[in-house]
Amino acid sequence: MATVEVRDLRKRYQDFLALDGVSLKAESGQLVTLLGPSGCGKSTTLRCLAGFLEANGGEITVDGESILGTPANRRGFGVVFQNYALFPHMTVAENIGYGLKLQKLPKAEIETRVHDVMKLVRLDGLRDRLPRAISGGQQQRVALARALVLKPKLLLLDEPLANLDARLRDEVRWLIRDLQQQSGITAFYVTHDQSEAMAMSDMVAVMKAGRVAQFATPREIYQKPVERYVADFTGEANFIPCQSVISMGDGRYEIKAAGAKLELSGVPGIAGPAELLLRPEALELTSPSAGTFAGKVTKSAFLGAALHCEITLQDGSVLKLTAPPNHQVAPGEEVGIAIDHSHAWLMPEVAP
Amino acid sequence: MSEMTNTFSNQKPVNVGFGILIVLLYIFLMAPLVMIIGASFTNGMMIEFPPQGFSWRWYIEFFERKDLVDGLLMSLRIGAITAVVTMTVAMMAAMAGQVISGKLSGWFQLGMTLPLLVPELLTAVGLLFFLYKIQMAKTVMGLQMGHILMSFPYAYVSIAAAIRQVPASLEEASASLGATGWQTFRLVILPLVMPGLAMGGIFSFINSFDLYTISLLLKPLGGNTLPLALFDFLTYEFKPTAAAAATLSILLSIGGVALVQKLVGLQRAF
Repeated sequence: MATVEVRDLRKRYQDFLALDGVSLKAESGQLVTLLGPSGCGKSTTLRCLAGFLEANGGEITVDGESILGTPANRRGFGVVFQNYALFPHMTVAENIGYGLKLQKLPKAEIETRVHDVMKLVRLDGLRDRLPRAISGGQQQRVALARALVLKPKLLLLDEPLANLDARLRDEVRWLIRDLQQQSGITAFYVTHDQSEAMAMSDMVAVMKAGRVAQFATPREIYQKPVERYVADFTGEANFIPCQSVISMGDGRYEIKAAGAKLELSGVPGIAGPAELLLRPEALELTSPSAGTFAGKVTKSAFLGAALHCEITLQDGSVLKLTAPPNHQVAPGEEVGIAIDHSHAWLMPEVAP
Repeated sequence: MSEMTNTFSNQKPVNVGFGILIVLLYIFLMAPLVMIIGASFTNGMMIEFPPQGFSWRWYIEFFERKDLVDGLLMSLRIGAITAVVTMTVAMMAAMAGQVISGKLSGWFQLGMTLPLLVPELLTAVGLLFFLYKIQMAKTVMGLQMGHILMSFPYAYVSIAAAIRQVPASLEEASASLGATGWQTFRLVILPLVMPGLAMGGIFSFINSFDLYTISLLLKPLGGNTLPLALFDFLTYEFKPTAAAAATLSILLSIGGVALVQKLVGLQRAF
């Protein structure tokens, strides 16, 4: 168990600034996800944590003590790689026991600990297989066991599910989350998959061009994003530009958008231009006169469990929404849209 | 052979031509070997093919000739030392080459294989001047240096190829599990590159065993490698003893290749 703090971390490659002041904090036992597209600096941050890369500035502390001077092999962190990084010439049991053997523990103890952890990750019966003779999901579980058997202070996972097919991904994902919670290990998890990030994390850091755009709980990231970039990356989203914004204090605003007047919450302290975020599930189709907005259906698609519609409002903005599957809508029809005000959110317009 | 005929009958005629070409190529490559091995067993007094009768007499004569046996021993010793030294140095160079990135990496690779690109004679002359400068010309040590220089690229190419196959994440994984650099090298990298390393050493040995030009220029006073001794021998006597010596060399090379095959085959790494 450990509290990990990253402060103003910087990393520069020749003429490319990979990390431009990353700050994060993981409380003891939390799983913190670094989420973002490729090149945003999430892996670089993780590699600095692991000690594979040297930062050019900033600080990383574990339980208040700096670890930047400690080489990777003395940090005592477990690392799980995207390509598993199993030793191809060692059996499953040898791979898992590698770290214990380096610690020169008695054979019997290594034996029991390897046995126990293999049971934990459900690898019984595979101990004498070579990595290439087992499936991808099993390989990733070996990698996980190899890291966990050393009881690391911190677990670092670099897109551990990226090479697995969808079914295995789900299985290994829950295994990782269960083990992490059972053992209470603090963990950092890198991914570009927002659903993975949402489902597993205590905290999510959405990264953008070497910075943390927002660091918050999955719920806040989804419902109260600080900018369009974050909202876009965490799920389906509609944005409507606002004509006027009047702050009422306390993060409440009165706005005019697409011909309607609304009162809603938003990012505190918006001064300049703002846009309205409406997630598809905050919208409901009604009769043209009853809704907050009025518009015309331009597309509708039956997806089985739901009906997917696109509606063009009077000011030209397009809203995507999901309606119940048996709702009757035809393209060209005039409709009204009711808004669940608790799910509407105002954000400042920021360059993407 | 039955497999080959099978392939021929199933494929288009253009492949028949290709097959014949391959067979011709093999005949072209193998003919000298077959002739020299055949000639070594002759019972006659001349190197000739087909051999006359069968006898081991030229092998017995080879081992009775002190100049040839000395040459063989010298070649074996120099080859063995060359193999060990080039394996060690090439391993270090290949690992350094892994760390160098960008444009520099290409130049580094080129530099490491330079002895292959520069004509052997030029390297030999240059080295000879250098050895005179440091008072080491015409010594066994000087000859040894020349052989190491000429054989290094063979070891390097083979070992560098093997090291490139080892993903960097394995080293990182090993470090994260608490291994020091040396432990990672011994427990992870070395076992994985062992086939390439052995191959590099054996190529380097075979190359050293075969070097003529550089040996001629750098040979120590009163010492001869086997190729030099054989050439001297052939200048005065055209006897099948030379064929016997050549056959022994061929056997040595085949033994080396078989060893590589066995090592690589036994490796469970790749």
